[in-house]
Amino acid sequence: MSRPRSQAEYLARLVPPSVAGLNRRSLLAGAAGAGALLGTGLLAGCGSDSDSGAGSKVVSLGSNQSDPKPKDVIAKVMDGFKTSSGVTVTINTVDHNTFQENINNYLQGKPDDVFTWFAGYRMRFFAAKGLAGDLSDVWGKLSGYSDAFKKASTGDDGKQYFVPASYYPWAVFYRKSVWQQHGYQVPKTLDDLNTLGAQMKKDGLVPIAFADKDGWPAMGTFDILNLRINGYQFHIDLMAGKEAWTSDKVKKVFDAWAGLLPIHQPDALGRTWQEAAQSLQQKKSGMYLLGLFVAQQFNNDEQDDLDFFTFPEIDSTIGAKALDAPIDGYMMARKPKSETNAKKLLEYLGSKDAADITVKNDPSTLVANTGADTGGYTALQKKAAELVGSATEIAQFLDRDTRPDFASTVIIPALQQFIKNPKDVSGLLTSIENQKKSIFTS
Amino acid sequence: MTTMPAGRRRPLRPARVVLHLFLGTVAVGWLFPILWAALTSLRSYEYTATHGYVSLGGWTLDNYVTAWRTAEFGKHFLNSVYITVPAVLLTLFLASCVAFVIARFSWKFNIALLGLFTAANLLPQQALLIPLFRMFTEIPLPAWMSDSELLYDSYWGLILVNVAFQCGFCVFVLSNYMKALPHELYEAAMVDGASVWRQYWQVTMPLCRPALAALATLEVTWIYNEFFWATVLMRTGDKFPVTSSLNNLRGEFFTDNNLVSAGSVLVAIPTLVIFFLLQKQFVRGLTLGASKG
Repeated sequence: MSRPRSQAEYLARLVPPSVAGLNRRSLLAGAAGAGALLGTGLLAGCGSDSDSGAGSKVVSLGSNQSDPKPKDVIAKVMDGFKTSSGVTVTINTVDHNTFQENINNYLQGKPDDVFTWFAGYRMRFFAAKGLAGDLSDVWGKLSGYSDAFKKASTGDDGKQYFVPASYYPWAVFYRKSVWQQHGYQVPKTLDDLNTLGAQMKKDGLVPIAFADKDGWPAMGTFDILNLRINGYQFHIDLMAGKEAWTSDKVKKVFDAWAGLLPIHQPDALGRTWQEAAQSLQQKKSGMYLLGLFVAQQFNNDEQDDLDFFTFPEIDSTIGAKALDAPIDGYMMARKPKSETNAKKLLEYLGSKDAADITVKNDPSTLVANTGADTGGYTALQKKAAELVGSATEIAQFLDRDTRPDFASTVIIPALQQFIKNPKDVSGLLTSIENQKKSIFTS
Repeated sequence: MTTMPAGRRRPLRPARVVLHLFLGTVAVGWLFPILWAALTSLRSYEYTATHGYVSLGGWTLDNYVTAWRTAEFGKHFLNSVYITVPAVLLTLFLASCVAFVIARFSWKFNIALLGLFTAANLLPQQALLIPLFRMFTEIPLPAWMSDSELLYDSYWGLILVNVAFQCGFCVFVLSNYMKALPHELYEAAMVDGASVWRQYWQVTMPLCRPALAALATLEVTWIYNEFFWATVLMRTGDKFPVTSSLNNLRGEFFTDNNLVSAGSVLVAIPTLVIFFLLQKQFVRGLTLGASKG
């Protein structure tokens, strides 16, 4: 071994493999910090995070499912995994919002072996950064997934990084009893929708319930209009920053939206989606475009009265087959403690067994595995599964299909401004485009 | 001059009325959110959802039971104790050491040192987030100290961060307090042959008890209320202190505000208890170091 020629080389030789790959400055900062704060050297205690897991029987799961029901389901699924494989799962539950906001830190720190995450751009983003493990071989053993789901699990490099678990579609919800009472028909085209809206207004109803206090619900309206007017591929490219927001295509979307605003509930910016959903529940509104979770705002005896249809066709050459259906699932950390166990767990999570346990314990979710026993589904769930099953393309919802910082800092205020003042569309789009350029190049 | 009522009515000057109106408004302004939260926490979501929040009725204690159970407050309160108690003790000890040196020895860098510690108070903590996070993920700990084997995601890390950020203020207050102690005491101690350590531990510290008590009350409240660092430098949900675990009550799509209110009231109780028990120290703490002896 040659002698080091400089201090930097000397220090570099001291780095154990577990921390190699860092630049010298952060290493020195770490060493200085460690020395000053603890009086221990850099080398103390290092090297213990190598793969000791070949024979170990533990795997860790980072979960964002902090609501009581889903949390319980996760625990039951992990019990099922323990019975089938003998490997124990330690579950680290962090509340949904904190988990999401901290994901960058979490993945660059010391993440759990397997963690819950979302399909779409958000998955591809971390996969491209090398912060997630390649799951192509796990996918080789999975069955029961449609091509649309596999596409949604694939990163930019063509490898799979994601195992889908559950999803929910966005659609236009309504109460059957209200529609029967007035004799309304499901609209097939945009003109039908406008006619229906005018009729509802005459009948004293708010045609389309609408709320955007939290910023994200209006994204659903934008998504579906863009999917209907410009099609899936344009939508995804627009989200990925490849298309210009100032193009006529996008302008057409906002013009169509402005045309529909008169049949939307006014003053949406001061209303939460719960309040809008309650207006539907209280039979004050006729329809509401939202995710399947709108059912949470309905009492148990009202669930059967809830029905939905997919947003009507706008351009006959594009049709009405694409929709937003955000998929939740699991990913693997880039360097899990035990890759064997992590992959075993992911294979189980994608299996029919795990899906069956989920369906049995939480009747409000739709499981991604089509092989699962869905006998326990309600009529609404069955219809939702059929709708997504027949979809040609599945988008993941705006804030999952694009950079999170772009969605929250640019799109939310922009859409809210549009709702407040639908007149100045071109000024708004120019401002979005300018901000997009600076965010996507960073 | 002889009639007393005239003397009593004098306070009814317009200025006084305005003053009382102002004080009353401010008091209501401060109390309103707290009382509103307490009121909301005692009502069921179903009732407020149908009747709106500007109504009365739907009284229940269920929110408290549910909040305690779903957010697992029992466990998280303990976590807060693990972080707060050592952090406060360590802060006071280290700060008093620095303050003692600054106050008792004339040394070239006295002012510079005090300036350094006080200036740290002005630094926005968020600006240090990324360097600290990077550092913490690089510093190993033996497994018996933390199962994460890193300063990141360990109680040690959080204690250190809190100590570092609170030291500045404590040094400032304590050094001013110590400067006010009579110099003759130390001359006497020196004549008796007391070492520097003895002068610090057996002469200064007992005299500083009121200042230490006041600071301890303030620090407990501040460190207990801190949730930013816990959220960023922790990864394991089960290790979060109670303030960060409050987020567990927010649903993915749906947040029950009544439940969150109940949780917030529960989390606020320890600070309130500390305030009412140690009110005297608390108020004294606010004016400590305001006058230089």
